[in-house]
Amino acid sequence: MSHGVGHPGHVNRKQYWVIWLYLLLLTVVEVGLFYVPGIPRGLMIAALFALAIAKAALVGLFFMHLKHETRVLKWSVAIPLATPVVYAAVLIAEASWRLL
Amino acid sequence: MGGAGANAGDHHQAERPLRPDEFFGEATPGKVGMWTFLISDALMFGGLLLTYGILRGGADLWRPPDQPPLGINFTAGLTFLLICSSVTMVLAYAAMVDGDRKKTVGFLLLTALGGILFLCGQYHEYFGIWHPGLTRQGLDFGSSAYASTFYVTTSFHGAHVLSGVVILLIAAFVTWRGRTDVHDIEVVGLFWHFVDLVWILVFTLIYLIPE
Repeated sequence: MSHGVGHPGHVNRKQYWVIWLYLLLLTVVEVGLFYVPGIPRGLMIAALFALAIAKAALVGLFFMHLKHETRVLKWSVAIPLATPVVYAAVLIAEASWRLL
Repeated sequence: MGGAGANAGDHHQAERPLRPDEFFGEATPGKVGMWTFLISDALMFGGLLLTYGILRGGADLWRPPDQPPLGINFTAGLTFLLICSSVTMVLAYAAMVDGDRKKTVGFLLLTALGGILFLCGQYHEYFGIWHPGLTRQGLDFGSSAYASTFYVTTSFHGAHVLSGVVILLIAAFVTWRGRTDVHDIEVVGLFWHFVDLVWILVFTLIYLIPE
């Protein structure tokens, strides 16, 4: 446990800064959307969801190095994380059907 | 590790004791364990956010008129802070891959500083440092679903930031003492990035969804 060197790693400093820039820009877009008047509420929520998931995916894939993991590990993470999203989708569908 | 040094030219054995796994490749058991923990933790956050969504979706009026709206600009700043601390975290890992312990310790401390500033910001948001916080503006815990879901979700995340800061400080100390390797730093990083990732979702869902 005492040696730090010799591991190839997946280090790409330039890429880390590019991801930082993307995250910054997407956050600016999100907050900007909040202040733009006249966007239909449903469209706004859909856009915010998409932006948040895109940002979370950038952190997971590049900062947490999921992009470089094996297929099994990727799916082991993705499937459990997708279950609350599926549950949310079912609830939203049910709510919109009920409110029709 | 005993006896590993006996074979000349075999000194890499101590650094990489595991053969690549059939399913998890180069990922160490520590990393797979951290991911397993993060998945269960994510489901806990998923439960909180779904509860919020169900309550909010079923409410005719979400925010009672006498309760304050949440501050978007200030928390956008906190979001930026966490994103930056994620970058210092990957830079700590990169320094460790280069074998530069001093730099690693520096970046770990910088990352911890980002977390401490975030916690100060959250304290200010709740209780107020330079102007009255939400608790002084009538957002009392238990007074509405709006207030309760806000406090429960953000404080649960805050507890994660706090534990992250403690883990980072321990990691910095142990690295300074020369007793960590790249895998340790990567696993610490996984937890810290997860805290950032969850905040991205919390910020969007709790703060930005319009009324």
